[in-house]
Amino acid sequence: MAARRPASRRARRTAVGVGALLLALAGCAAPVSEPTTAEARGWDDVLAEADGQTVRLWMYGGDDKGNAYVDDVLAPAAAEEGVTLERVPIADTGDAVNRVLSERQAGVTDGEVDLIWINGENFATGQQAGAWLCDWTSMLPNMEYVDPEDPLLTTDFGLDVNGCEAPWHKAQFALVYDEARVEDPPGSVDELLTWIEEHPGRFSYPAPPDFTGSVFVRQVLYSVAGGVDNVPLEFSQDAYDELAPELFGTLEDIEPSLWREGQTYPQSLQELDQLYADGQVDFTMTYGPATLPDLVEEGTFPPTTRVLLVEDGTIGNASFLAVPSTSGSRAGAMVVANLALSPEQQLAKARPEVWGQYTVLDPERLPGEVQTQFAELPQSEVLPSYAELSEDADPEVEAGWVTALDEGWRRQIAAG
Amino acid sequence: MTTTRDAEPSAPTSPSGKAGAARRRPGPRTRAALLVLPALVPVVAVVGAALTSAVLLSLGLTPLVGEPSLSLDAYRAVATDLGSSLRTSLGIAAASTAIAAAVGLCLALAATAAVRRSRLLGTLAALTIPIPHLVGAAAMGLLLADAGFLSRLVGVDPSSWPPLVGGRLWVAVVAEYAWKESAFVALVVAGVLSSRAASYAETAALLGAGRWARLRHVTLPLAAPALGATAAVSFVYTLGSYEVAALLGRAYPEPLAVLAFRLFTSIDLAARPQAAAVAVTTALLALAVVLLALRALRRLAAEQ
Repeated sequence: MAARRPASRRARRTAVGVGALLLALAGCAAPVSEPTTAEARGWDDVLAEADGQTVRLWMYGGDDKGNAYVDDVLAPAAAEEGVTLERVPIADTGDAVNRVLSERQAGVTDGEVDLIWINGENFATGQQAGAWLCDWTSMLPNMEYVDPEDPLLTTDFGLDVNGCEAPWHKAQFALVYDEARVEDPPGSVDELLTWIEEHPGRFSYPAPPDFTGSVFVRQVLYSVAGGVDNVPLEFSQDAYDELAPELFGTLEDIEPSLWREGQTYPQSLQELDQLYADGQVDFTMTYGPATLPDLVEEGTFPPTTRVLLVEDGTIGNASFLAVPSTSGSRAGAMVVANLALSPEQQLAKARPEVWGQYTVLDPERLPGEVQTQFAELPQSEVLPSYAELSEDADPEVEAGWVTALDEGWRRQIAAG
Repeated sequence: MTTTRDAEPSAPTSPSGKAGAARRRPGPRTRAALLVLPALVPVVAVVGAALTSAVLLSLGLTPLVGEPSLSLDAYRAVATDLGSSLRTSLGIAAASTAIAAAVGLCLALAATAAVRRSRLLGTLAALTIPIPHLVGAAAMGLLLADAGFLSRLVGVDPSSWPPLVGGRLWVAVVAEYAWKESAFVALVVAGVLSSRAASYAETAALLGAGRWARLRHVTLPLAAPALGATAAVSFVYTLGSYEVAALLGRAYPEPLAVLAFRLFTSIDLAARPQAAAVAVTTALLALAVVLLALRALRRLAAEQ
């Protein structure tokens, strides 16, 4: 089009255009990373403002039971409080965080995201950018049922929660095996490492940064360090330099005994589950053991599937509901978060046929009848009770560890 | 945009500047520009804006946190990974394009000249086209995996099945791209051949050319430009695409798109500029391939 204009003039115009664009874009500097704090106010005030608001809850959409719980149990209860709860299914929680960060960059104040099901690294990422509304969970009346000292709920992967997210449910890492194929189930992570070397080709783990594979690597880290007490939960380069060589040395040692001689790893937990279901490996693992009875019932996993109880305990964590600072329905979001914490909702969600998620409430703070109802929840042969599963539970390390270990694993194990 | 210099003198100069001297009717050049506009505007708006923001992000000018400052840190940080990713991506793209071009050409020949009865063959090849890559990849995974359909059909134990999915040689990834792109190659080449090859081949036959000579001197040269263009398109597509390699590939090394996506979704916000740096590098590489291909095509066309 402009081909016939003298070249020099065209070049000058382009240069001016590009320069102006660069200036304009450089002008919009990154938003401040200070967190937004909620103003302290009475709960009645919050309820009044929430009436009529619509809350969009962004959550992982691949869990049918979770979707059904939100649509059929939580949303109707929210409607009774005058709040319309809309579930926005996403493939990855990172998508919601990205959305919030972009909205912050664009200065949006009535964003698309009002509530996110979140924890760990995604929370840390948002916290790093000051994307969450903070200091609001203490206003929730139902927080009285939560143990304020519970380390699983006051920190999220080592990062202080600071009232920036309300607890939703607990999760426990579990190693899963087939009783029919594993005659001598190992009793600790250390014994598992020995078992792997004695049974070549029958074990694998998802390649970090897959969430579950990454947890497995940290579980091995605790084991080779001689227990969680020897791992400083706060990340420091010194601690990493001291502990990482032993961890990666161990993982290198077991590599030839893994599935396909460790030349490759399943890329995701789904792939490992597939290998387990096909009988190519004898172990799989999960951070959501509540899904196991279903997988057995529908025939995906063999009926002899069991959870491996290790004496050193496994890593546990909690997931939360966070309100982005870009939300225009903050009051409504707080009402939903409070509702989700109520004993009725937590009990409903803990039922295996509803969702089977472990409660964040402290049984001792609950009214007697609710305590009994929690105790009477049906148990499955596949899945031990939460009390048994979470015995000696290990805390998660700080998110900084996760990044460093994932990267170290890639450099040393995957590339090696 | 792509007007060549040879074409310029032939375009009549419009009498702009002498207002009122001529009828205000757009010249052919303006008309052509107007016709291109609907395609050009979205391309510039979408691709241009995306590329600009990627470049700015990779140069540290639009960080998510902190002060913007011009630096090449992101490029430096990904430099080590970039090498292995480049090799992997180029290898996958070259292998799948070569197979797709060979298979696609054979399909096109079979569907047009040699076997006129097999219009069915052309239809079957074209059926592949509307299937999304993601579905193709999933199907290829189910077919070729250790405990996949093929290994069960042949009756081979999963542990002795060659690692086609997630293996060192990226067999499943290359197979999927080759399968999908060969249909595209076949469709375009067959289109060119069916309209032009028959008459030329008949003339050549009258002049006494044998079957082999007709193929070598008539059909192949006629097919060459279309074959080259489709090969270039499928090469560039494969170079920049993500889903197939992510689904059927291995954890290490990563193709460029997988590397970029992993960095972009990393929990570390500082990795975003690195993701943009990988994306910009991929775009530059694709641009270089396109330019080289255009030059080669022009030469091919000139030879005819």
